[in-house]
Amino acid sequence: MTRLAPYSGHPASASASRAGRVMPALGVGLIWLFLLVFLVYPLARILYDAFSDEAGRLTLANFVEFARDRFYLRSLVNSLVLGIGTVATTSVLGFAVAFLLVRCDFVGRNLFSYLTLIPIISPPLVGVLGFTFIMGRAGTVNVLLEDWFGLTRPINFVYGLHGVLLVETLHLFPMITLNVVDALAKIDPALEEAAESVGARRWTRLVTITLPLTTPGYVAGALLVFIWTFSDFATPLVLGVHDLLASQAYLNIVQFVDRRLFRMGIVISALMVALAVVFLIAARRYVAIKDYSSLSYSKVPRRRLSWLGQTGAIGFLSALMLLSFIPYLGVALASVGRGWSLTPFPVRYTLHYFERVIVETPKYIVNSFLYAGLAVGVCIVVGVPIAWILARTRLPGRDTLDGLNTLILAIPGTAIGIAYVRAFHFELPGVGYALTSLWIVLPLILAIRRLPYTVRGSYASLLLVHRSMEEAAASVGARGWRSFRDITLPLIWRGVLVGSLFSFVTSLQEASAVLFLSLGGWETITVGIFSFYIAGSANEAAALGVILIAVAAVSVIVINRIAGTRMGGMFG
Amino acid sequence: MRHVAILALAVLLVAGARGTAWAQAPIEGELALITPVSKFIHDAALKAFAEYAKEKWNVTVKVSAIPAGTPVAYGRIVEWKGRPDADIFWGGESALFEKLAAQKLLQKVEISREVWDSIPASIGKPRAIPLKDKQGFWVGTALEPYGLVYHPKKIQRLGIAEPTEWDDLLHQKLKGEVAQCAPTRSSSSNATYEVILSIHGEDKGWDWLRKLAANTGFFTARSRDVPTVVAKGEYSAGFAVPSYMAFEEKLAGFELKFVAPKNAFVTPEPMAILAGSRNPKAARAFIEFLLSERGQKVFMERGLFPITPKYKVQGPPGSTAEMAVEFTGGVRSYFDRDVSNVYDEDVAQKRSEALKQKFRTDIEATWKKP
Repeated sequence: MTRLAPYSGHPASASASRAGRVMPALGVGLIWLFLLVFLVYPLARILYDAFSDEAGRLTLANFVEFARDRFYLRSLVNSLVLGIGTVATTSVLGFAVAFLLVRCDFVGRNLFSYLTLIPIISPPLVGVLGFTFIMGRAGTVNVLLEDWFGLTRPINFVYGLHGVLLVETLHLFPMITLNVVDALAKIDPALEEAAESVGARRWTRLVTITLPLTTPGYVAGALLVFIWTFSDFATPLVLGVHDLLASQAYLNIVQFVDRRLFRMGIVISALMVALAVVFLIAARRYVAIKDYSSLSYSKVPRRRLSWLGQTGAIGFLSALMLLSFIPYLGVALASVGRGWSLTPFPVRYTLHYFERVIVETPKYIVNSFLYAGLAVGVCIVVGVPIAWILARTRLPGRDTLDGLNTLILAIPGTAIGIAYVRAFHFELPGVGYALTSLWIVLPLILAIRRLPYTVRGSYASLLLVHRSMEEAAASVGARGWRSFRDITLPLIWRGVLVGSLFSFVTSLQEASAVLFLSLGGWETITVGIFSFYIAGSANEAAALGVILIAVAAVSVIVINRIAGTRMGGMFG
Repeated sequence: MRHVAILALAVLLVAGARGTAWAQAPIEGELALITPVSKFIHDAALKAFAEYAKEKWNVTVKVSAIPAGTPVAYGRIVEWKGRPDADIFWGGESALFEKLAAQKLLQKVEISREVWDSIPASIGKPRAIPLKDKQGFWVGTALEPYGLVYHPKKIQRLGIAEPTEWDDLLHQKLKGEVAQCAPTRSSSSNATYEVILSIHGEDKGWDWLRKLAANTGFFTARSRDVPTVVAKGEYSAGFAVPSYMAFEEKLAGFELKFVAPKNAFVTPEPMAILAGSRNPKAARAFIEFLLSERGQKVFMERGLFPITPKYKVQGPPGSTAEMAVEFTGGVRSYFDRDVSNVYDEDVAQKRSEALKQKFRTDIEATWKKP
């Protein structure tokens, strides 16, 4: 969330030769072209759709219709309530966990710092399915209550808005944790020591010094939690909650027949984009005046907890982890259990579902890796130069570039998916096909969606490379590309790699944006999960989910190894 | 830029593959469906056809399907504007096929006369359900009733009799225990709502449907989810479920039961070739194959019924075909019994919009989880 500030030094191109000036200009031009074509144009198109009628005339009628429909208004209110509610619950959990991990020392702290990342890699749809297997009306918990305690009517843990809140909270609290961990690690210990020296007690120090200092990181995380919840349609649909904006956008759009409803789906998507942008701007305003953090990471000694404190910390984290692992348990059981109904655990087990997804549909896995791989390629080609422009130059339009890059984080996946369908469904001159008929559109949309991670990862590393090193290289005659290759690249590759890996993992997990664009033969793992689920094969969906979870888990461990605590910066 | 190069490469590859492959072969080497018929059926049908094509013409057909609910499939076909990314549209209400034909988005099926004539023009009384298009734009492939499902163990726990009629779903003890899909999203639900309105008349029909909503604990996002949540035991009974979807759950090892009550809607699962299809010969061969005995067997082993009187669902004891017969209440063919039908295509089309609108205002907007 922190505004990307330019490094205060000389503009890089100041002493470049003429040839060295044309090439970068061309590169910058191409980057802008890429963003204009694949980000600005589709969003403009969907906004135009929202403000026009079937004949293409500009009108406000769509929004009037929205405002007059009580069901839509209820959906809007519910979405806001759910988003804010999730931010509140994840904040409490996320802060508590972050504080324990950064500031306290107890047995198993390292283990927990890995475990707290796990909920975040729960793939769309599968997590909530897993949840219903354990917590549903016929889930393990209810069955045990019925069998052991003679409960006659199952308790409704999940079906309804409260269920969505529960699932989203347990899924998303690590977003807050990551960002706050990052922010806590950046706080200059001198500030707290100063407070201590004037007699501030621990609690007072926490409330008056520490918490305010984590604001920028926290707000970034909170915004992401809000947007995520706000735009997630898979979770509410599985839990039978239709009166939310995301659900309505999805449901109205997937029924193409009624053009009026279809347009309302687009209108709702556009509204979600607009709201997301408003929240993004508000968050940036708020943070900009509160950004006190230093760029460097400082080591604050961890406080060794007392015996009682340790028990409490471990108890709290274990309970939280236990709850967070419910989806995984459910998915794992469903992926091997046959005909599982009204028993606490499956009675019959089979590897048939894995066999089916691995032998019959390896294309899901192949496609996922191909598209995510290509997307990361594009992310690096476009994202690293953007990071460089932001960190090393004073080119005009830098702020806009930064803003666009952040904007991407705020756009709901469904909305950009729809925007692509609307924007690129025309025959390309000379090609004979629309872009939407070519599979390349999938890696392209993934690249746009995940670009910010690569940019942020690279940018953070660039800031840490002191300019004097490049200047030293220049003084012995190495300029431009040579100095970048020999000096800058070896120093920043780690950040680029982390950002790219993050782009890769999140591309693998992406569903909402690609769902509307995917055609037969292009299915990725997540689209496969959806089509198996839609086809009624929850078990195969679960098996694919387990595979995706495994891949993501390995990637996250690798990222964590390389990046250490700096992972939080990725989301901001 | 790299993506431009990749794009160009992809375009070249696509163009190259299109130009050379199978110019001489009796059928093209590709076939794509867009269909609301679930994977369980369409995968099996495509696989069986691919094997058949290999045996008969030694052609390897690359088969694929875009799974999409009826409205989505229809919408995408309209959006394609005659340059479709699929060859065949399969499933949903026959009226939609006629709407597509009117927009010139379908081509005539043009299969052999003998095969075409083997399918009766219609089935059912007092209203006839057409099994093929008079103009020749679509043809039925299999018969499939939309019935109700229930979980025997849950019904037993509730202490009520196993449901056999639509009215049984209104039982007081089923409050909050019924699952259904909104008629705005599912053609099977839409058709069954229409059946209820035809049985009771508009006013009483909506009263009935409101009572059903009061017993409904879960409106699923898709019709396919209804048998799933009942099979799992999340809910006790489900409304408007195609027979094969229920049978799929049975085959998956669940103790689900299915009933097609009196006047349950029976669909012929229409199939049509899209105008502008890139693989018209393969599409035609696919349809002819499905209407042959070998093709009909694919359906008969999966809880669907033959579209012609020529075949009956039967197999050796213990076979899936016999399981299907038992599961659907002993039916082997819809042609050796009286099929009671009150669904009137014209009436249904006329009030289709009104039905959806009334559902939105009267049921969806006021429904509260019991």
